[in-house]
Formats: sequence, structure tokens, C-alpha cells
Amino acid sequence: MRPPIMPIPPRPSQYGIDPSLVKTRVAELPGMTSIGLKELFPDLPDVIYPSAEGVAAIRKATEESLKNVDMSKIKPEHSVNILAAHHGFTLLGGEPYAEMLKTIKDVIEARTGCKNIRLRAGVGLRFRETEEYIKRYGLDEYFNGKAIGVAPVDEGIAIETEVGTLYGIKKIYDADWIVHAHNSDVREVHFHRQVDRAVKPFGMAYARIETRSTYHQNLGPRAANFTARAIFDSPFVQSKFAFASFLTVAPNGIINVDSDNDLYALNDRVTQSGCKYYGKMMTLFGEIDECIAALDFPCPVVYVFSAGVIYANFAGANTDLYDLDIALPAYTWYTEAFYGKRGKPLLDDIPRVNKAIKMCVHNYAWTGYPSAFFSEHIPTIVVGQEQADLFNRDPQNLTYMKHAMVAEDTKAAMEFAYKVTGTKKVLIFDGAMGGINVSEPLAEFLLKKAPEVSKRVDEELLPKWLRQRGVIL
Amino acid sequence: MKIVNLLAVVDNEKCRGCRTCERVCPVLAIKMENRKAVVDNERCRGCANCEQRCPYYAITMVKREQPIAVKVDVTAVDYALIEDLCRKAKFNPEQIICYCTATRAEEVAAAILQGAKSPEEISFLTGVRTGCKVECIQPVLRLLEAADIKPEPPKGGWQWYGRTVTVWEIPEEVKRKYASRGFYFDEDIKILDRVANAPLQGRSDS
Ligand code: SF4
Ligand code: SF4
Repeated sequence: MRPPIMPIPPRPSQYGIDPSLVKTRVAELPGMTSIGLKELFPDLPDVIYPSAEGVAAIRKATEESLKNVDMSKIKPEHSVNILAAHHGFTLLGGEPYAEMLKTIKDVIEARTGCKNIRLRAGVGLRFRETEEYIKRYGLDEYFNGKAIGVAPVDEGIAIETEVGTLYGIKKIYDADWIVHAHNSDVREVHFHRQVDRAVKPFGMAYARIETRSTYHQNLGPRAANFTARAIFDSPFVQSKFAFASFLTVAPNGIINVDSDNDLYALNDRVTQSGCKYYGKMMTLFGEIDECIAALDFPCPVVYVFSAGVIYANFAGANTDLYDLDIALPAYTWYTEAFYGKRGKPLLDDIPRVNKAIKMCVHNYAWTGYPSAFFSEHIPTIVVGQEQADLFNRDPQNLTYMKHAMVAEDTKAAMEFAYKVTGTKKVLIFDGAMGGINVSEPLAEFLLKKAPEVSKRVDEELLPKWLRQRGVIL
Repeated sequence: MKIVNLLAVVDNEKCRGCRTCERVCPVLAIKMENRKAVVDNERCRGCANCEQRCPYYAITMVKREQPIAVKVDVTAVDYALIEDLCRKAKFNPEQIICYCTATRAEEVAAAILQGAKSPEEISFLTGVRTGCKVECIQPVLRLLEAADIKPEPPKGGWQWYGRTVTVWEIPEEVKRKYASRGFYFDEDIKILDRVANAPLQGRSDS
């Protein structure tokens, strides 16, 4: 068995505990190993990052992809907003995304002579998160002081769409041109269901609270992504849209950079690779019969990831998240909202949280996302009183610790989990690059199951998923 | 229900009177006095919106010595009226509409039936919009509209701008146009209607 891959170190942030308090990583404990993702699925694409070349590979790929992009509309006297979103900065350490943003700026400047290029970086529910990243990656200096984080409560702008008025953040659109700089990481497939993944930030990171609330509360679980498309298709946004550049990502790393003036063409490519590669990982994770899930990464509970799949998706891996005939995953805010006062779903056919997760060991994760549903439905043990205290100070998580227990250290937490659950299978969500950290029994289990899963996705599931989304390449 | 255990505290040295905090406070608890921000301690719901948006980092959130439990008593209102209002807004009364505080539609309906007339008052009374500050404005506006109340957004504020489309209002031609692209409008209407009309589990969670 191979040694575990060391995850990225804890990060200083107002949303997490002091890094010095994270004394042990779960991957360091006895019995842990790693599997290269290509060992599971040999047909996963080759990656340009992580690689020996480092972020230079990202710069090269960005420049290459931009060669096919028409920038003739951008004049030297114009202004350009490069739009970014927070998740890119948690991807593989964050440097690749920062490098893509810098390269886009350099190429626009060189090709068009335009100097007024700004960075506008949207957030999720942690309103200062991208401010932290802007400093961390020196983006403020790189953009000559013109790099800011924007939040959904900032001043808004009304956008007229096919389905009435929706609202964007004013500072996102306060330039002559906008460039959509994102990534194809599958992230919240429990929400977007891989429908219009590439368009989603127009209804999220770039949008005001009214629009985000529309997405999560006014439309249904499978119609919600239309919010983003409505905004993107609006005459207002179309009049400013220049092009899009994406880090294209597979569970094992960054495959390439894809840029296009046509966002929908890019969207179709992303849909296909997302369904195929992440679909295999998700389907494989859905096969896990029992395990302890360990969270160990600097981002909120739901978003900690393993093999490109986030914990929230694993909580719903008992249903096929890609199959649009299934109305609801076992976890989304819809599902969560549909539990009545007795703690049971309001309808019998609402799926329950993935029963394979016997316990969750929360070794390291941030606040800033409503996560009490997880500790309420999955036995949870949090390492260290400081993390517990942090949660108790978070307006979004005032009851997270009501349902969770506190352990003194990582080793004690894991020993407790082994004893209580009776399973030795451990899946670590620590963002390990290129591979996945697991306990030895789970490694054996996954390696055994993967070939059949691969075949089933290629032959049965993938054609159905693509058909449902109207994607024929 | 929300337990408010934090309070916003302004550092007068750092405050430059830019009014950002005033514009984002969901319960109108922070206002300018003599070009400095001043917090109404009783009103503050500890949401940290002001702290998170102050451009000069002039606000910190401190632990309250005496936490406040914020809740509207649902039993003080005729439940049949609550049920009517929720179902008219297409919510199940027991449906959670604020994930951070686990506030159910019935509580917001009870606040409205007891006289709350704006999102700001509802947030003050129930705690909705004081967790993540992002997700629950539309349900609040829908419930107000179902009670025939048309609130105006706070003048000059960024608290909220307006109600937006619901799935029941998507035009047929839009549905047709995008039918093959994975948008399941009619199927979602079915599940949302079933939830809205589902029987109550009917036990107080107090
Ligand atoms: S946002 Fe900050 S600087 Fe501006 S008025 Fe409020 S406390 Fe003062
Ligand atoms: S309610 Fe929120 S925004 Fe208003 S003063 Fe208190 S912490 Fe600040």
C-alpha cells in the first residue's frame, strides 16, 4: 500500500481556527494509505497540474487557449472586469486559479492595449473570503490595486430577463466588458445537477441575495439553474460579455484551460467531462456500504473534498445525483427544508441522508455555511474545543455543536469512531492532490469496485445523463 | 428560533461614516449619528453583516453576556390562518425557509399575522435573514405578498430590492424553449406542490 498524500497545510483565515491548533492530520494516523485516481479509473485524462512544471503549465495553457478567442471588441480606452469566484481558490491549493487570472490580465493587455483591467471576485456565504485570497496570491498588486472582493449584499443592479427582473452585484458589471474566469470542478452537483455548470456564477457569485434566494427557494431543485441562464442571456449581460476562460478539471487535477467567446459551447464540453469523470467518482462513492468520513481541509464542512467530490455530495451519494429523473438528492437545501417538525421528511419519498456515513470526524473545517443539518443527521465528532467555540460564534451554525461531540485530539476521535461504528473503512476529505487518502480496507474495496463502475457509467449512465441535458458533442 | 449571542461593536477611531453598515443591516439596528455608526444593542441580531462589509474593518462581533432568544410564538395565532397564508404562498407551514436558524414558514406567517409588515420587522422578530443573510429574502417576500402586503425596500439601503419569479410563473414559451436542456420546470412544480400540500407532522418543536 502507498503512503498517504500530505494534504495542504491549514490556512490562516477568519473562518477557521488558528493553523497552529491543527496538530495532527487524519492522513498521518496509522492504517492510512492513498490510491492514485488513475489506478481507479485508468481512462482519467492526463493532467497539466499538479506536475513538475508547476503553475507555469497553467500560464502556458491559458495563453494557448486564448489564441482562439476574439478580443477585437476591447479597445485601449475601455475597462474590463475579470470576474472570479471563491471556489477556484480552494482548488489544488489555489495557485493555479490565481495564475490563470493573472495570465488573462496579461494577455488582454498585450493583445488589446487596454490597461484598465480589474479583478472582481465573488464569494459564497463568507463575505470576506476572496479578500483573503486576493492578498494571499498578491492579486491586489498584480491588478495595480484594482482587485476587490464583492458580496451578495453589496449594492445591486436590476437586470431584465426573460422571466422578469433579477439582480446582480453592481460592481461586477461596472466596466465596458466582463470576462468570466471560472473552473469546471463539479463542486455542488447536488444543487446544479451538472446542468449549465459553466453559467452558474451568473446566478451565484456574481449575483445579489434576491437572485440567490430565487435559485434556492423560488424555483425547484432541477429548474433552479435557469436563474443563472436567464441573467446570462439578458441583453444587459450579453452587451458586456467578452469571453470565458475556465480551468478544466477532473478528479485527478487540472486537465487544461478552455477559453471561448461562446459560453454555451464551453458549457457543453464541461458537461460532458463533468458527467464522465466526476460521474465515475460519484458512482464509485455511492457504492461504499459503510465508512467513517473525516473532514480535514480549510473550507466549510459541506465543501471539503476527496477525489474531487465534496462531502455534501457524499451525503447524497446514495442517490444518483446526475439522474434528473430523480427529483431530489438526499442533501440539498430543498431536502433540508422539507423535514417537518418531527424530524421526518414531509413526503415519504424524500430520500434520507447516505446511510453509509456511520460517523463524521471533523478534524479541520471552516465555518461560514449553514451546516447544522449534517451534525443533526450524521453522528459527528469535532476535534478540539477551539473548533467547537468557532462554530458557536458563527451566525450560520449556532446549532452545529448542539448535535456534535468534542474530542481532545485527532487520534482519540478516530479511535472513538472505530469503536462505535465497528467499521475500519475511512474516507478522508482533505483535498489530497491527484489521489485520495483512505484507510487500507476502503482502498481495497474501491479498487475492487472501480472497473465495474467505470463500465456502467460509460455504457449505461453517461448516455442517459447527456441525453437528459441535451448534450451531443 | 434564533439565539443571538453576538453583538456588533463599532470602533469610533476606525469608522469613517461611509454608511455601508447601515445599508446592509437586515433589521435596521445600526445607524449614523454625527457621522459615526451607532448600534442599537437591543435590536442587533448578531448577523455580522456590518462587520463583514465595513470597508475599514471598524466593527467587531463580541460575545453577549446575556444571549437573546428570538422567536415568534406560533400558538398565539389561529393555526388555520397560518396554514392558509403559507399554502397561499406555496409553502408547507412546517417547511424550513431559513437554514441557519431552522425557522419554518409557520413562524414567519405568525409574525405577519401578528402585524409585521416588512422583511426588516420579520427578521427582527424571527431571526430569518440574520444567519447567512442571503437565502431567505424571497420566502419572506412571498409570505408578505400572500398577506396582501407590499413592503418598500429601505430608502437608500441595499437590504433588498424586490420579489422575483417563482417556478409557477415561468412562461410556457420559456419552458418549451429550454425543455431539452435539463431544466425540469413542470416536474419541479409537481414536487413543490406536493410538499406545500403535505399533511402536517404537527408537533411543536419547542
Ligand atoms: S461601514 Fe464601517 S466605516 Fe462605514 S459607517 Fe459603518 S462602521 Fe463606519
Ligand atoms: S443586526 Fe447584523 S448588521 Fe445589524 S448591527 Fe447587528 S450585526 Fe450589524
